[in-house]
Amino acid sequence: MVTNTKEVKGKDICVQRISPEEKRELAYKDDVCIGCGICAKICPTEAIELGEIGAIERTGVDESKISIDEAKCVLCGMCSSACPVDALDLKLDEKSIKDMAEYPQLIKSAEISDDLCIYCKACETACPRDAITIARILPERSKLVTGEIEIDKDTCISCGICEEMCPADAIEMEHHEPTSSDPTVSSDITVNKDKCVYCLICRKSCPVDAIKAVCRSCSYGDYDLNPEDSETTGSSFIDEEACVNCGWCQEICPVDAATVEKAFEGELTIDQDTCEACGACVEICPCNVLSFPEAEFGEQSDKVQADETYCIYCGACENVCPVEAIDVKRTAVKHTPTKSKSWEKQLSELKT
Amino acid sequence: MPKHIVSGLKYLTAVELIREGLSQKEVAKILEMDRSTVSHYLNGRNLSWNSIEVAEIITKFCPKDFLTLTYALLNDSEKTRVIVKTCSKKSYKASVEESCIGCGLCVDTCLLNAIVLDDLKARIDSDWCNGCNMCRDVCPTDSIKILEVNNGY
Amino acid sequence: MVELKVDQDKCLGCGNCVVACPVNGSISPETAGGHGPKTEDVIMMVENGVIKLFNEDKCTRCGTCPLFCPTDAIFLE
Repeated sequence: MVTNTKEVKGKDICVQRISPEEKRELAYKDDVCIGCGICAKICPTEAIELGEIGAIERTGVDESKISIDEAKCVLCGMCSSACPVDALDLKLDEKSIKDMAEYPQLIKSAEISDDLCIYCKACETACPRDAITIARILPERSKLVTGEIEIDKDTCISCGICEEMCPADAIEMEHHEPTSSDPTVSSDITVNKDKCVYCLICRKSCPVDAIKAVCRSCSYGDYDLNPEDSETTGSSFIDEEACVNCGWCQEICPVDAATVEKAFEGELTIDQDTCEACGACVEICPCNVLSFPEAEFGEQSDKVQADETYCIYCGACENVCPVEAIDVKRTAVKHTPTKSKSWEKQLSELKT
Repeated sequence: MPKHIVSGLKYLTAVELIREGLSQKEVAKILEMDRSTVSHYLNGRNLSWNSIEVAEIITKFCPKDFLTLTYALLNDSEKTRVIVKTCSKKSYKASVEESCIGCGLCVDTCLLNAIVLDDLKARIDSDWCNGCNMCRDVCPTDSIKILEVNNGY
Repeated sequence: MVELKVDQDKCLGCGNCVVACPVNGSISPETAGGHGPKTEDVIMMVENGVIKLFNEDKCTRCGTCPLFCPTDAIFLE
């Protein structure tokens, strides 16, 4: 008889069934899980149970967000296909069913086009999962200004005023104590032309007019600047494991470089009269959909507010709400086609 | 003792295969025996009649017991398949309903390797089914139906 | 199985949990306004200066009360 084995590593779970024909392995990653409970809903054998998400996320309860009963699990893979964040993965002989055409996959994606991205980092800052990294290379400052500067060392009295005044820290004096053999206070003064922005403050503040400087950017505008030198370049990266396809990046991007496709369509309703403003939903939501309006200290905070633009209709908030003030409806579940009637049926039953 | 029962089962299988028109050489190959042993068997030598009687009783067990006992005795799925299918007098028609979720538990359970998954649905080769019902018993969605076919006996 | 528990020795009787509990608020709305509940139907209440659980079966283990308790006298475990 073939039987399942379960291995628990920290909060991660692995259920296996090994037969002479094949090895099936269901792996669950707790740090990826958002506690939505869709796996428990779709499981045809009721082998998965959603934990006490509120207690786990908000207090010190040290448990996995879901539990899998290996005696009930048949390793069919429905949980793996339906998980909106890929926290569950079924592998058949080490190959993920997410790479097999016969298994239906949720249609979801997030992409940032490097052709359009201007590396402003707005998405990196807004991403509720810290899934985005924008690495940018700034233009060289010295290539964006042009001018000339020269210090007449014979006139210079080494007062150091220019050095103190320079906003770009481009002037450096070599100070020393005067001696009878060298009765000066400085041995040299230099201008670092990579740092100098030709602002002319040194020239204007020099008490003995020892500095000759001119800013060509001002007199010639942009004529002798190469436009390519002013471009910020870089690259963008989305950590697929952390990304939940919430759409924050798409909404906040000023140049439409981010595109997000969501697997579920639906409707989020909050009954303001029932809401007790406990904040459990705000903390559980993986997409920063929910928030409390700013309240003055001492004032009672308002009821929770939602912006559905970022909602993935996972239902985690509805599960955690202690007073049933939240209703999440799923009206569409978008997935790749499957020939299996039962899979089609189970996936469509995620609609509520 | 188990060895004797295995000999009895092989004897019954050999007789049946010869009756079906196979040559001694072919039978020897299928059962992984020497051709001379097959010949001895068929002439009633090197084998106690008691072993054959016990083997005959085993073939008349319910299909699941016959199959699991044979598998336990031989510990070899290919030979188990041949012996069980050859000595089973009945035919079966297996069907899988649309409620199948393609979990593959039946595939892993079937000792006769009669089941494969096709587009997330189990497909049972009725020719190899011996009606043991083990697949039906493990199916989490009750999607398997196995019917005995009346073939004129 | 996560359960709601109290440690009466640690409790200061401040009633923060009683007021913060969203289920209490829905059962006895005046608690959300900072007053003591008017009914024993609520989950927890301060009695004789310490917290006491009245209906822990109504707890959904949302994790709100432990966030407000200054002494970890009410907790989920």
